[in-house]
Amino acid sequence: MQPIVSCRGLTKTYGKGALSVQALREVDLEILPGDFATLAGPSGSGKTTLLNMIGALDKPTTGEVAIDGQALQSLNATALSDLRLHKIGFVFQSLNLIPVLSAQENIEFVLELQGRPSKERAERAREALKNVGLEGMEHRRPAALSGGQQQRVAVARALISNPAIVLADEPTANLDSKTALELISLMYRLNQENGTTFVIGTHDPRVMEHTKRHIELLDGKIANDTRR
Amino acid sequence: MIDTLKTFGSLAWRNLWRNSRRTFITLIVVSVGLWSILFFNSFMIAWTQASKQATLSVLIGSGQIHAPGYMDDPSIDRLMQPPDAALTKALNAPDITAWATRLQLPGVVVSEYKTLPITIVGVDPALERKVSSIPGKVVKGRYLKDVSDDGIILGLNLAKRLKTGLGRRVILMSQNVEGKLAEQSFDVVGLFDADKNTEDFYAFTGRTAEQAFVGLKNQIAEIVIVTPDTVNVDTTVKNLQAAAPKLDVKSWRKLSLFLAASDTFMQGFIYVWLGVVFALMAIGIVNTQLMTVFERTQEFGLLRALGMKSRLVLLLVAMESAVMIGVGVLLGIVMAAATIWWLSSGVDLSAFAAALEMFQGGQVLYLKYQPQAFIQFSILIWLLGIIVALWPARRAAKSNPVDAMRRLT
Ligand SMILES: Nc1ncnc2c1ncn2[C@@H]1O[C@H](COP(=O)(O)OP(=O)(O)O)[C@@H](O)[C@H]1O
Ligand SMILES: [Mg+2]
Repeated sequence: MQPIVSCRGLTKTYGKGALSVQALREVDLEILPGDFATLAGPSGSGKTTLLNMIGALDKPTTGEVAIDGQALQSLNATALSDLRLHKIGFVFQSLNLIPVLSAQENIEFVLELQGRPSKERAERAREALKNVGLEGMEHRRPAALSGGQQQRVAVARALISNPAIVLADEPTANLDSKTALELISLMYRLNQENGTTFVIGTHDPRVMEHTKRHIELLDGKIANDTRR
Repeated sequence: MIDTLKTFGSLAWRNLWRNSRRTFITLIVVSVGLWSILFFNSFMIAWTQASKQATLSVLIGSGQIHAPGYMDDPSIDRLMQPPDAALTKALNAPDITAWATRLQLPGVVVSEYKTLPITIVGVDPALERKVSSIPGKVVKGRYLKDVSDDGIILGLNLAKRLKTGLGRRVILMSQNVEGKLAEQSFDVVGLFDADKNTEDFYAFTGRTAEQAFVGLKNQIAEIVIVTPDTVNVDTTVKNLQAAAPKLDVKSWRKLSLFLAASDTFMQGFIYVWLGVVFALMAIGIVNTQLMTVFERTQEFGLLRALGMKSRLVLLLVAMESAVMIGVGVLLGIVMAAATIWWLSSGVDLSAFAAALEMFQGGQVLYLKYQPQAFIQFSILIWLLGIIVALWPARRAAKSNPVDAMRRLT
C-alpha cells in the first residue's frame, strides 16, 4: 500500500549558530491510508514542526517529504498552495475560522477557492455541517458558536474536499473534557465511516485513548510508534 | 472568477465594519479630501470666472477687431473702416451676444491744475451699454446720451487728480488727421467708479463727437465683441477672421496676457491642491491599512494555510481597500454636491472684496456643478488610493502560514 505521507531523514533547525534550535532530528515516518494517528510528546518536542512539514506549510532543513507520492521539494509556492487546497485538511488549535463569514460560508470558502459552482458549494457545505452535528447553525458567525462548535466547523471544512489527509494540531487544547471527547469521537467516526486519514498532534491524554496508532516524539525524534 | 470577485467583495464589505473606528478615520480622510478638491475646484472656477468676467466687462470684452498694427501703435494712422456687410453679418451671428465700435485715441486732458495722459474713447452709448460695465458705474452725473454726445465722462480718481468735477470743463488734446494738434474743451457730464487703472487712463465721449474733434469721417479703432461663457471664443474669432481677412481679430486671451496667465495658474493650482490632499490621504490610508493587516496576520496566515494563493490574498486586501476608499469617494461626492448646491445661489464675498480690491463688481460667486471634474477627480482619487493601499496588501499576501499554526505553543 502506498503511504499517504512519507518522511525520510527529516531535520529542521530554527535559527543559526549558537542560538539555533534543532526541532526535528532525522525523522522517518510513513502514514498509511486510513490511519488515525496521534502525534504525542511533551511541549517543545517538535509536534507542530513535524505537522508543518507534512502540511507543506514549511520546508525541512534536510530530508524529504512526499504526499500521495508527490515529493514536496520539487514544488513551487503556487503548486504547494494547490496541494494544500486539494489534498490536505487543517484543524488548528483556535482561530480556525474567518470571523466575518458564517459557518456555512467558511466551508464554502474552500470550495470557492477550488472553483466549485455556487449551488454545489452550498449543498456540500450544508451536508458537511449536518455530518458534524451542526444542522441549523449554518448562518451563525464564529463568534456566535461555542469553542466546540467552532472546532466542528473546522473539521467539516477540513473534510470538505475529501483530502488525502487531515492534520490537526492540538484541536482540543481549548475545549473542556466533554467537548474534547465529542470532537475526538467525531473525528474517529469520520475516519471509520469514510476512511479519512488523520494525524492529530496532541499532548492531551483524553485524545490518546481513542487512537489507532500512537506516535511519540521526544526531543525531535520518534521515540515510539505503536499500532493498537 | 466572477464568483470569487463576488465573494471577495462581500468579504471586503463585511471586513470594513470590523474595526469601525479605523474605517471611520479612513472614510473621513478620503471623503473630506475629495470634498475639498471638488469644492475648491468649483469655487476656483466660479472665482476666476467672476473676476475674469468683471475685468473683461470693463473694456476688453471677449474679443476685439482692429486694423493690423493698431495693437502695437494705437495711433490715428492705424484705424479701420466700420464693418462692411460681410463682417456685419458675422458680427450678428447667434454666438455673439453684443458688439460695439469704438474710436480710441491717445491724448492728454488738461485742467487748470494739471495735464495728464489718457486714452480718449469715443463710443456709441446704446451699444456700449451691452458690452461694457462702465455705463453702469457712473456714480455722479449721467452717462453719454448718444453717439454725438460731446460731453465727457471721467474716472473719479482722474477727476480728483485734475481737481475738476461735474459741470466743469476740461481740455482734450490729440493728434488730428493732418498730424497737427487738435484741442477742444469738453463738459464733464459724468464720473465713473471703477478700478484705479481704468479711472486714470480712460475718458469717454460720443464717437461722432470724437471723430469731429480729430477730423475723421467714420473711421474707428476697434470693434468689441461679447460672447456667452458657453461659447468657445476661439471659434468665434476664427469665424470673424474669415469674414474680415484683412483685419486683426483677437480673443481676450491674447488681449489680456495677465488674465490668461492667471486663468492657467488657477487651473494649475487645483492640481497642486490635489497633490497635497493626496499626500495626506495616502498617509492616512497606508497607516490604517497597515495596522489592519498587522492585526490580521494570523487570519491571512490561515488563508494561506488553507491553500489560498498569495496573489489572491493580495486581491482580497486590495478589494477591501477599494471598497473602503470607494465608500469614502461616494461620501465625498455627496458632501461636495451638497455644499455646491447650498452655495449655488451665491456666495457673498463683498466683505473680502473691499479688502482685496480684486473683485470688480463680481462680489457674489455662483458655484456650479462641474460634472466632468466630479467624475475625473473621484476616479483619480479612488485609483490613487487603491495603488497606495497595495503596499499594505502586499504585506498581507506575504503572511507566513506557519504563523497561523504557531500561535500558542
Ligand atoms: N519559529 C521558530 N523559531 C525558533 N524556534 C522554534 C520555532 N518554532 C519552534 N521552535 C522550537 O522548536 C522546538 C519544537 O517546537 P514545536 O514544534 O512547536 O513543538 P511542540 O509543538 O511539540 O510543542 C521548540 O524548542 C521550539 O521552541
Ligand atoms: Mg505544538
